[in-house]
Amino acid sequence: MTKITENITALICSLLVLITGAIVVLYTSETGFLLHGWLMIFFSAWAVLTVVRRMNRPLEPKSLEYNDEVIKWGVLGCLFWGIIGFTVGDVLAWQLAYPDLNGDLPWTNFGRIRPIHTTAVIFGFAGNALMSTSFYVVQRTSRARLAGGYLGWLVFGGYNLFVLLAVTGYPLGITQGREYAEPEWYADILLLIVWLGYFWIYMRTLARRTEPHIYVANWYYLAFIVVIAMLHIVNNLVVPFGLEYTKSYSLFSGVQDAMTQWWYGHNAAGFFLTAGFLGMVYYFLPKAANRPIYSYRMSIVGFWGITFLYLWVGSHHLHYTALPDWVQILGMTMSVILIVPSWASVFNAILTLNGAWDKVRTDPAIRFMMVAVLFYGLTTFEGSFMAIKPVNSLSHYTDWTIGHVHAGALGWVAFITFGSMYKMVPWIWKRDGVYSIRLEAWHFWLALTGTFIYVGAMWNSGITQSLMWQTYDGEGNFLYSFMDSVDAMHGYYIARAIGGLLYLIGALIGAYNIYMTVQGPRKAPQQSNNLPVAAGE
Amino acid sequence: MQIEHDKVSGQDTTGHEWDGIKELNTPIPRVVTWSYQLTILFSICYWVLYPAWPYVTDFTRGLTGYSSREEVIDILQSSSNEREVSIATLFSLPIDELAENTAIRKQYETSASVLFADNCGACHGADLEGQTKFPNLKDEAWLWSDLPEEIEATILYGINSGHDEERYAEMTAFGRDEILTKEEISELVAYVQSISGQPHDEALLASGTELFEENCSGCHGDGGEGGLESGAPILTDNFWIYGGDAQTLSDTIWHGRKGVMPSWENRLSKADIRKLALYVYWQSHELEE
Repeated sequence: MTKITENITALICSLLVLITGAIVVLYTSETGFLLHGWLMIFFSAWAVLTVVRRMNRPLEPKSLEYNDEVIKWGVLGCLFWGIIGFTVGDVLAWQLAYPDLNGDLPWTNFGRIRPIHTTAVIFGFAGNALMSTSFYVVQRTSRARLAGGYLGWLVFGGYNLFVLLAVTGYPLGITQGREYAEPEWYADILLLIVWLGYFWIYMRTLARRTEPHIYVANWYYLAFIVVIAMLHIVNNLVVPFGLEYTKSYSLFSGVQDAMTQWWYGHNAAGFFLTAGFLGMVYYFLPKAANRPIYSYRMSIVGFWGITFLYLWVGSHHLHYTALPDWVQILGMTMSVILIVPSWASVFNAILTLNGAWDKVRTDPAIRFMMVAVLFYGLTTFEGSFMAIKPVNSLSHYTDWTIGHVHAGALGWVAFITFGSMYKMVPWIWKRDGVYSIRLEAWHFWLALTGTFIYVGAMWNSGITQSLMWQTYDGEGNFLYSFMDSVDAMHGYYIARAIGGLLYLIGALIGAYNIYMTVQGPRKAPQQSNNLPVAAGE
Repeated sequence: MQIEHDKVSGQDTTGHEWDGIKELNTPIPRVVTWSYQLTILFSICYWVLYPAWPYVTDFTRGLTGYSSREEVIDILQSSSNEREVSIATLFSLPIDELAENTAIRKQYETSASVLFADNCGACHGADLEGQTKFPNLKDEAWLWSDLPEEIEATILYGINSGHDEERYAEMTAFGRDEILTKEEISELVAYVQSISGQPHDEALLASGTELFEENCSGCHGDGGEGGLESGAPILTDNFWIYGGDAQTLSDTIWHGRKGVMPSWENRLSKADIRKLALYVYWQSHELEE
């Protein structure tokens, strides 16, 4: 694409969003939809103005450097949504311990703000982390400049508009009621278009690579992009009540609907929160440790095992329900096999550190990555274990599930993100290193302590709950009332909220450290290592 | 493509390199292969024994022919057999005799307390002490008598519940329906406060007494002494459902009251209802050993 066609495409895309927003504002009678119309208008008007201002500038010669500008904004988006998501999460934790904290208002009750937490951390924090690191990794490992020019900005902007529409809709009651897929049909269409753009950029950049092979990190990022597109489309097949309304109805009903949702839900964990982040591990860990990957063969076995098996296991979320037995059992057995490629990936990453273990002691970023991999191992073991039907009858519907998810989210996803960010930020801003290693270490220990307290509290409360619910006398009478079990949770819920608070404080320190790194002095200019061999068409 | 030897691991690299990252050509550890084989073998055994794979019109049933639905039916059947014994005991005697039997109380009180907390506690409190608008079941004030069979009937059919056998009680909205004026209502409030031993306005008392006899004693009894067991509370004690302060009393007389307790006939078994009735009785009565 030439600069001019690039500019015009960006302008048309932004204008389309602007027009859609204007139509919404003109025709809807819903407060929430009206707000979303205005958000679309403001967001796209800003994009239009930016593009027009750039068009007035004289054409610069096409840059041959890696394109890192959009990645910088991805880092910003990641930290911004991360802080929001962690804060809302901790507010929710305190609400569970002290329900009066919901202020007795409809907009601030648990059910409406919980999806703000999940969307902000999954799509906002993790999504921006994946997008920015994938753009970084695909350029370096392909030795090619990012394809699509402005398209990267449209993808980044459109994606964050999607997150914004999602989290602002929930307090007003705009939701599909599908876990991790709450945004309504119009936001889903926006995400779909953005995602196809993301896919195109990724494929084009890989296609223009000057390396003979595609590096394993890119397999994982690509699996993540492709599978999420597929899941997003199928799980959001809905019929809007009307184009001027936010509400829509699922094409599926009953147990089929539940199965579709959990096929989506589990693979959101498998491909969004696992495959993409394994991509991150495979680049940033060997790069930071300066060691070769332990085994190329294990990479292959791990990758195909994970990619093949994850798609079968969603049904383990619906054990002992109306779902037919054969679907439950098939999902359970595939979940058990899944432990093998998961742990193969764990060992491949941990053994990569052989010869560089001293760096785990001295470099908190590598420590973040190593602990992330250990938590990944812990969570995948726990996941396969919980998928076994008799175990599931103990763990399901209890806080153990919440503990499991957070061992993965806090210990694995966020730890590998922080570790990678502490490496990538100085690289893309061309700084000598992170502003303060001491603060980095503080972040690490606060986050680790917070995670342990959180997960420990939820294990205890989950098993306590489950045992209380399943204690009968000889005649089948309950020995504890439901309220007894709620009372028994109180202490654990306070502990959980404190763990979350430590984690949040750690993240705030991390954000400050990264801000100061960016504000700090530039590296002394040296031989440019920022030029791919062959860039451009 | 340059294959190098890595001293730390003793392995060769594959010769690929991306942005400085190399890969070792380490063979797959045996433990990985074994684990794959073991978990796949476990799965195959499971598939042979249990329903697992679909085909066009049906699915493989497995050698055990397992069905979770049948398993649940079996469990329910066997536990209901166990329960029948204890249910039989509950209906072996009239409820008023069961209520005075300490052995029966010992046998059922604990499980009935959980039943109460799960089903009744939300309104009446797990400690039976009630809350505003929901009566305390531990005090001596009874709206519909404290005989065990009457308590059982209340739980079965409810109060103002819409059930054919419901207990019906409604306090007239004297103000809203323009039966009494504002002034008359404040005179009544003074009277009700006087008979319940609260500070009150003496000047209003005389006309209040007269108004009470004309309008209220039919349900609340002469002088508010109650005792009619028709759902209208005694007004001379210190137990209040809605509140005994002047403002609340005035609101009650102005707007009337019609509290609802649901019928539990179709929500709980007859045995559970009987246990609850006994439990409520036991919490406010001492049994003689």
